[in-house]
Amino acid sequence: MNPRFMGWSAIAIVSGSIMFLSSGCVATADGGYAPNVTVGVGLDYYDQFGYDYGGWGPDYAVGPYRGGGARPRRGDGNPGHAAGHGFRPAPPSHQTPSIPSGPRAGGRRGH
Amino acid sequence: MNPNVIPPIVDRRPRACSAWRAIAPGLVAAMSGAACVAPAIAAPEHVPPLVEPRGQEHHVGKVVFEELVTPDLAASKLFYAGLFGWSFRDLQAGATPYATASLDGRPVAGLVQKDMPAGSHRQPAWLTFVAVRDADAARETAVRNGAKVLLEPRTIPDRGREAVFADPQGAVFAVLASSSGDPSDELAEPGEWIWSSLFTRDPDADAGFYQSLLDYEVFDLPSSGSDRHLMLASEDYARASANTLPATAVGAHPHWIDYVRVDDVAKMVDKAVALGARVLVGTRLDRHGGHVAIVADPQGAVFGMLEWTTSDDQKVAK
Repeated sequence: MNPRFMGWSAIAIVSGSIMFLSSGCVATADGGYAPNVTVGVGLDYYDQFGYDYGGWGPDYAVGPYRGGGARPRRGDGNPGHAAGHGFRPAPPSHQTPSIPSGPRAGGRRGH
Repeated sequence: MNPNVIPPIVDRRPRACSAWRAIAPGLVAAMSGAACVAPAIAAPEHVPPLVEPRGQEHHVGKVVFEELVTPDLAASKLFYAGLFGWSFRDLQAGATPYATASLDGRPVAGLVQKDMPAGSHRQPAWLTFVAVRDADAARETAVRNGAKVLLEPRTIPDRGREAVFADPQGAVFAVLASSSGDPSDELAEPGEWIWSSLFTRDPDADAGFYQSLLDYEVFDLPSSGSDRHLMLASEDYARASANTLPATAVGAHPHWIDYVRVDDVAKMVDKAVALGARVLVGTRLDRHGGHVAIVADPQGAVFGMLEWTTSDDQKVAK
């Protein structure tokens, strides 16, 4: 084989390899986000490991308000928290809303 | 001229042709090399728009998307396909395997594969995306109110502009300014995300943070003991709850959990377990009605399931 051709081929292979590696590399932090995310999608996130999800008391509620009866209002909760909010409470005239209830066209599936 | 002497062959081509002969093999080789790596550097496929056809609706504060990071994409797809009937489309996204999940053609989630080094004390997670109009403005507001930026705002073609933050208590969440608008405010179908909860040490302070960022109305709901139960709402719809992180939870840190709507939580928990999930909070009746449970998928990513029945539709119908 022509030595000149072999030389150019070597250059091409080396430069191609550099391009390939640079396109595929994602330098990752320890389990968290990549500092230089090069992919077009994905956020590359892992959460902190292993915590206990127990400890929900009998009245512990997480779901949305569902209506029925009088809607709870601001201040109906534990009176010990009525003051000193870190937030701006909704006006007393506003009733607690629920999630969107409008059905989607096309029926529903069952699970 | 002596006729017996054969004249030398004179190369009458211009000198440039000689130069061409010199570089041609190299050029061909270089082009071949470039062709070999072209697939690797081709522009990655785009994730689908959040809303198709593109809409003009925007619902700031609404949870509009979830993304899973998993060390085993194939196993995760099997689990969620078996549990909720999701279907998947793989994307060629550079070096990162990625799949979009959909239900009846509607995007419900994205799944990213990432290796998880042993002993890294991390676990797979679902990431909650909240709608904003301007991710860069959200960044400024979030930082001004005590958040930490984990991923600076960046543009995802066809999807919009997104960023990831840790709120002042440390709960991680993402914001998305969708370029195709936000999904309409309609009741989620079974198998779709229906609700989100923030578990944090100081719900009042965190509610204030999210109110500053997303202009939520905050409703203080009845609670027992020292537990707080706040409702974060926008456009007269509940978007999420903010709850006290139980003090007895070992190793607990503030976090978001998203819930998939199901018709029968107990039945779906059994199904999830049969597919390899672990139960973290067993089926229980929520004070507002309906059952709820928290599970970890076979790779460890945590999510909830929440019952929502036809009678619930009638209760909350506006």
